[in-house]
Amino acid sequence: MEEDLKTSAKGQILSIRDLPTLPKVLDEVSRLVQNPNTSIEAIAKVISRDQVLSAKVLKMVNSPVYGFPGRISSVQHSLVLLGFNVIRGVIISTSVFDIMSKTMEGLWEHSVGCALATGLVARQAKLKDPEEFSVCGLLHDLGKVVAAVQLPELHKAVGEAVRTQDLRWFEAEKAVLGFGHDRINAWLAQHWHLPATIKEAMSSHHNPERAQFYPLHAAAAHVGDFVVRVFEYGNGGDDQAAPLSEQALKILGLKLTDLDVVLDGFAENLSEVSGVNFSPEDMTPDKGKAN
Amino acid sequence: MEPTLFARQQRGILLSPDPELATLFQSLWDPKELVWTVIGQGRRAMEVIFNEPPDILVVDNRLQDIPSVDVATIVKSENVYRQLPVILCLDPGDLALGWNWNVVEADDFLLRPFAGPEVRERVQLTLCRASRAMDANPLTKLPGNTSIISRIQDLIDRQDDFALAYCDLDHFKSFNDKYGFSRGDEVLMMSARVIVNTIRSFPGIKSFVGHIGGDDYVFIVPAAIAEEACKRVVAAFDDIVPHFYDEDDRERECIVSTDRQGEVRTFPLMAISIAVVFNTGGRLKHYGEASAIAMGLKKKAKENPKSSYVLDRRAE
Repeated sequence: MEEDLKTSAKGQILSIRDLPTLPKVLDEVSRLVQNPNTSIEAIAKVISRDQVLSAKVLKMVNSPVYGFPGRISSVQHSLVLLGFNVIRGVIISTSVFDIMSKTMEGLWEHSVGCALATGLVARQAKLKDPEEFSVCGLLHDLGKVVAAVQLPELHKAVGEAVRTQDLRWFEAEKAVLGFGHDRINAWLAQHWHLPATIKEAMSSHHNPERAQFYPLHAAAAHVGDFVVRVFEYGNGGDDQAAPLSEQALKILGLKLTDLDVVLDGFAENLSEVSGVNFSPEDMTPDKGKAN
Repeated sequence: MEPTLFARQQRGILLSPDPELATLFQSLWDPKELVWTVIGQGRRAMEVIFNEPPDILVVDNRLQDIPSVDVATIVKSENVYRQLPVILCLDPGDLALGWNWNVVEADDFLLRPFAGPEVRERVQLTLCRASRAMDANPLTKLPGNTSIISRIQDLIDRQDDFALAYCDLDHFKSFNDKYGFSRGDEVLMMSARVIVNTIRSFPGIKSFVGHIGGDDYVFIVPAAIAEEACKRVVAAFDDIVPHFYDEDDRERECIVSTDRQGEVRTFPLMAISIAVVFNTGGRLKHYGEASAIAMGLKKKAKENPKSSYVLDRRAE
């Protein structure tokens, strides 16, 4: 029975045609792509703050049509390789959530914050290509967005379980669906030919010690997720702190004192990403906790 | 007068025993544009076709001595002739025979009764389509040599000012040897996208990008932006290419492989070299001059193991 649900849910998830985003970033990018003099860098900077738009360009550039599936893990590179026309096409064909955007805002902030934190973790661990790690952080909860779009009833039931049973979102997913967003992430990353590094981070950020090929990416996203939750910036669906895997720090070669540096860096740089207000007219003090 | 579709006179062969059809075809084009040779028997025509392949072949299904399908199959099964477009002429009754277009590799068909204007446009469309398909690089789908040469010669003839850049990849062969052809093709596809999108990122300019073959590309831009275009291509290429290596090689920033003599050798990561020739004040007369100058410059660009560009300063 459970297997049946998983199979049909997987089919639903992978059949996703239209992945909507929130209006704020989309409006900004739409404005940018209308001007042919806009630089790719400027567009990349804005798209990097939106998990859905980033996922869309990475999916496209890694599709077999372009001839190098699974190779490109940076938004900037994706845009260089796709070119202005294709980017414009992606942007104009992207829709926005009509009803859910309030509940989604917290998740968007959580993801952008996680991108920042994961990038800082990678820098602290002196890893090459910190940008790639930021992408891992940005996309670590993409499965939650896709589930909300493709399995709205089940998604609602998960939210219900979080509230009534005092569960973490990840635990509630397992209780309701039988699998978590980490599994959904793995399906999506595989189906979209995303690079193996991103796939591993997306599918193993809850259990970095189980990462098979790219434990660094999974561990960095894990620690990034922890950091952004410590700051209670945004909302991944629940407001519980995630347990920090000691193993993750070990994989990255970081000590707890390194974590302090990351936390300080996050506090310093938060204003940069939180400048992306998802609802500028709604600047209440507890705006991070949307759910 | 309307601009002609074709750079030179086109030659067509019509295989048909039907004199009316022959008259129709010959009346539809000025022979300076497209000249038809009509042959009434199929078998005899084969040798003519093989010796002097026309630009287009039209085969009437009313041929007595050989089915039109066989003519098409013979032509299309030889790699040197298969680019030759073939149009079949059918009677309405022929349609009922059942046509497997995977087996009959014709490019189009015409149906009796023939309408002159339609025949004319169909034949011209088929010719244009064939020249596009023939010339595009099969991997990147960028215009190939024929288009590149005719574009350059055209600009030279019009005495337009332009910069012609030849790009090629350094150490592509060692990458191919270690990682195999399909990984090599990935790099060629990536390079094509980098060049095309970099050139297109200059709004409102006339430009052209072609793929000579292998790891050789050209682009044409206005002289004023040539250097900036080179800088951007080099920067984007250098930024992206490490991601096409496996992690250990990327980490090491070189590849280690064993050559045929069993010696271990290291090769740097791939780089892009660009040689730019300027045509200012109509100094070039022929395409060959441009490529000869570029080849000389390329040697200079290649002396640098990193990505680099060399501009032909003699022009200034």
